[in-house]
Amino acid sequence: MTPVLRSSHRKAGFDTVFHGLLLICSLLVLAMLGGLILLMATGGWQAFARFGLSFFTKASWNPVRDVYGVLAPLLGTLVSTLIAMLIAVPMAFGTAFWLTYIASGRFSSIVGTTIQLLAAVPSIIFGMWGFQTIVPFIARDVQPFLNHHFRHVPGLGPIVSGPPVGTGLVTSGIVLAVMVAPFITAVMVDVFGAVPPMLRESAYGLGATRWEMMRKIVVPWSRNGMIGAIVLGMGRALGETMAVTFIIGNVTTVGWSLFAPRSTVASLIALQFPESPEGSIRLSSLMALGFILMLLSCVSLVLARCLRGKRQ
Amino acid sequence: MTPASMSSAELSGKAPAQDVALAVRDLNFHYGSHHALHGISLDFPARCVTAMIGPSGCGKSTLLRVFNKIYALYPGQRATGEVMFDGRNILDDSINLDMLRSRIGMVFQKPTPFPMSIYDNIAFGVRLHEKLGRTEMDERVQDVLTRVALWNEVRDRLNAPATGLSGGQQQRLCIARSIATRPEVLLLDEPTSALDPISTARIEELLDELKEEFTIAIVTHNMQQAARCADRVAFFYLGRLVEVDTADRIFTNPREKQTQDYITGRFG
Repeated sequence: MTPVLRSSHRKAGFDTVFHGLLLICSLLVLAMLGGLILLMATGGWQAFARFGLSFFTKASWNPVRDVYGVLAPLLGTLVSTLIAMLIAVPMAFGTAFWLTYIASGRFSSIVGTTIQLLAAVPSIIFGMWGFQTIVPFIARDVQPFLNHHFRHVPGLGPIVSGPPVGTGLVTSGIVLAVMVAPFITAVMVDVFGAVPPMLRESAYGLGATRWEMMRKIVVPWSRNGMIGAIVLGMGRALGETMAVTFIIGNVTTVGWSLFAPRSTVASLIALQFPESPEGSIRLSSLMALGFILMLLSCVSLVLARCLRGKRQ
Repeated sequence: MTPASMSSAELSGKAPAQDVALAVRDLNFHYGSHHALHGISLDFPARCVTAMIGPSGCGKSTLLRVFNKIYALYPGQRATGEVMFDGRNILDDSINLDMLRSRIGMVFQKPTPFPMSIYDNIAFGVRLHEKLGRTEMDERVQDVLTRVALWNEVRDRLNAPATGLSGGQQQRLCIARSIATRPEVLLLDEPTSALDPISTARIEELLDELKEEFTIAIVTHNMQQAARCADRVAFFYLGRLVEVDTADRIFTNPREKQTQDYITGRFG
């Protein structure tokens, strides 16, 4: 055997080992997800079995009587995320578009870098900011004003009702929006930047204005990427724990008011998990909540895939 | 335009005023601090094909991008001098860019179909400037697609995405899209550089028909293409206009040594 052949033999052996390592890494990912789902499902099994369907329809989360229903935290998570996305998506879209196509030079790069820095700020910081700034603002200015003017308006009255404590779904929605908007913006900037310059010039070349170019060319072209950006942001908002725990009020009730204290899935778990005894139905209920939260994130991801798939 | 009809004005790059679609005078162009075009003066006779040739970086594409002011999208790019179009200097800030671009169409190096149907690609530009009813729009779409010899190939799938067409078809679609807004001038920036020889030949045939109605300015790296399609050829080198003449003269008997060297392949 010539030296050349021997060395290539050794290379092939190295290759096999390398392939094996990579395979183990990817299998670990699968095992991790499977393990998490299994843990949550088995942990929550007791609760699912005991309460059945009422686990999803009952609003009461009562550790004293040991009766648990997830409707309150579930609605809290969904509504606060919805409010957050309603604020964050237009904001992120506008900022990203401005950064990509309108702003020029140094100012744009300063703002762009700031957004990336903001996206990297730990969520606990936003929680403290929300508690110090937004909660008093809502309690002192926003809710009394709304309550005063809209109290007797049919449909709006219940939404703005409640004692002006400042914590609740709107407060959480605002803070979550500020938290995820930089994140969505940063992704959207990349998405918009990926539109081929020649395509844009073609649109301008036909006499399109910036707005027409954006609406007819950039948005359809970057649809998939924008959906991806929104889902990433939504995932963060759905699962955000500490920031929300500071400002949601942590009361497990269901009601129309967007300004009354509520709870979310993640905040409830964070608060009660450490003090739930091993084997208790309360712990099982919390695990079941965790399972539901995972399911929510998965569903949003699948939904995004479906939306993407439509365009071909 | 035949060599016999040339006047002394013709020889200096100028044509009789009434027949000139675009008149460039003393045009300078800067990319930031880079001086890309030096004192260009050049006429584009109406309803003729004028080809711009020269080695890469000579400024020919830059000149094309001045005519529809697409350069204005980018900060730091500026043009000074005069480009007369329909009695006005388009370099003036007061020029309405959307209107200008609807009257001076542009086709790029690579096909740039929009992410929409074939029909909507054509209708896109038209809708920006005109309000047409459904039947009028249908007629316009059929008309321009017929003129670029694409109608028979796509008539059954007008609502299919334009990105599904072949490269050559896409480029003809882009030409159709540009002429759908009824411009007076058509700017073509190496329109066949990304196409196969058969598609290239079809586009060249098309130019011959289109010049009956449009003034065409084409940038090309391909000298055979310039010889085949163009009435007049302008040779650029290092941001300067070296020579402009009829295609016959440029390719058989150029006046400048640099032109001679370039067309015989000694550099570039």
